[in-house]
Amino acid sequence: MPSSLKARTSGTTELLYESFLSRWLVIAVGLVRAYLARGSYHGLYYSIEKPLKYFQTGALLEILHCAVGIVPSSVVLTGFQVMSRVFLTWAVTHSVREVQSEDSVLLFVVAWTVTEIIRYSFYTFSLLNHLPYLIKWARYTFFFVLYPMGVAGELLTIYAALPYVQKTGLYSITLPNNYNFSFDYHTFLILVMISYIPLFPQLYFHMIRQRKKVLGHVEEYSKVE
Amino acid sequence: LKHVEILDAKTKDKLCFLDKVGNIFTFNPQWYPARQSIRLDPKGKSLKDEDVLQHLPVGTTATFYFRDLGAQISWVTVFLTEYAGPLLIYLMFYFRVPFIYAPKYDFTTSKHWVVHLACMCHSFHYVKRLLETLFVHRFSHGTMPLRNIFKNCTYYWGFAAWMAYYINHPLYTPPSESTHTQTLNIQLHIFCQIGNFSIHIALRNLRPPGSKTRKIPYPTKNPFTWIFLLVSCPNYTYELGSWLGFTLMTQCLPVAAFTLVGFIQMTVWAKGKHRSYLKEFRDYPTLRSPILPFIL
Repeated sequence: MPSSLKARTSGTTELLYESFLSRWLVIAVGLVRAYLARGSYHGLYYSIEKPLKYFQTGALLEILHCAVGIVPSSVVLTGFQVMSRVFLTWAVTHSVREVQSEDSVLLFVVAWTVTEIIRYSFYTFSLLNHLPYLIKWARYTFFFVLYPMGVAGELLTIYAALPYVQKTGLYSITLPNNYNFSFDYHTFLILVMISYIPLFPQLYFHMIRQRKKVLGHVEEYSKVE
Repeated sequence: LKHVEILDAKTKDKLCFLDKVGNIFTFNPQWYPARQSIRLDPKGKSLKDEDVLQHLPVGTTATFYFRDLGAQISWVTVFLTEYAGPLLIYLMFYFRVPFIYAPKYDFTTSKHWVVHLACMCHSFHYVKRLLETLFVHRFSHGTMPLRNIFKNCTYYWGFAAWMAYYINHPLYTPPSESTHTQTLNIQLHIFCQIGNFSIHIALRNLRPPGSKTRKIPYPTKNPFTWIFLLVSCPNYTYELGSWLGFTLMTQCLPVAAFTLVGFIQMTVWAKGKHRSYLKEFRDYPTLRSPILPFIL
């Protein structure tokens, strides 16, 4: 990306990231307040349903940022992560009413919220050239727990949706029809779940490798001393 | 006589040094000739097999850079494999081999005439491709990277299975069009198959056997080749027409998807070919478009 374009957009990008950061803080605050008000964590999805939908869909912009070069992350990895989140938010949780009160939804919402707050703080502070080591450490360490937590929440939610999808034939097309085409959403969801097996380890090990690269040399210096 | 040294393009290690160069040599038995990419510049284009040492812009010691292209496989092998698959796979669905559809339909035949016709067209198409690979095409490069065979076969075999599943399905709905329209669709398909074959023959005749010369293709006495006036790669134009006819004839969404994806890929290839024609020949006819007359 030409440096002149980078200089012109960096101010806007910082604002953008601060706004993304504050949105996820809104979700976090919303969750905490609803929890305190209700006294239990069941059904907390409804308290943050709308912000979650808007902000997670807004994250589609992230793919554009990677493609244009504002963010150094890979387009493919980011694209995949954003698409999977948008899919979970709209095609599973929103579409299948019955799973909205499941605890697994809360599991992935909390995982996403904490991850995104750390991640956007990281980007914002990096752009301001004022990155506290704690944020960098958190970004490359919390994922050890947050990734499996998010994946567990996502898989359990999809699994919970299966019987309802099969019963109602949601998003499915059967034969015969004039286009001679069929689609079984139930089978599709099962294939999505299976795809986590090859894909999740790749993402996880990618983050572990990134961690060694980013945090690794700091440990080397301390060894020298 | 020149001295020749060969360096690795990435590490710049000296791989070998020859002080007497014979006409033909291979310097490492691991790296068979098809895998070798030898260039004058580490980041430049590969030298061709036909290039002669005496005619290259080098001093008394010629420095070449070597890059390993990875395991290679011949074009003929890839083509035969990727085309034999769809031929056999489609027939398996047509004959309703067990474990595809419900057991009561095993080895039954469809009652719709368009299903039989579709099978004939699809099978003929791939038989034609296999025969062209064996007897018509003259390939510029002998080989391609090995991983291509997996990619290509997944594409052809996957789509063939997907299309064949629906066309030969017991619940297939034939198009409601009149016989007249259906006849037009079939004629379009056949017309374009003949056209595509004519272009392949015309391209073959541009190149004498065993040579790798490149010439501008022109219309011949065969009317199917007159499209060369307007298009650089009419073989792709006709191929699109064939599959369009097949799509209209079967009215099957997966067939439409296959036609679309094929069209996109062929357009990419046609544009590339068109660009290299323009680069190589200064007198290239200006009326021609890559794949669709005047449009694309």
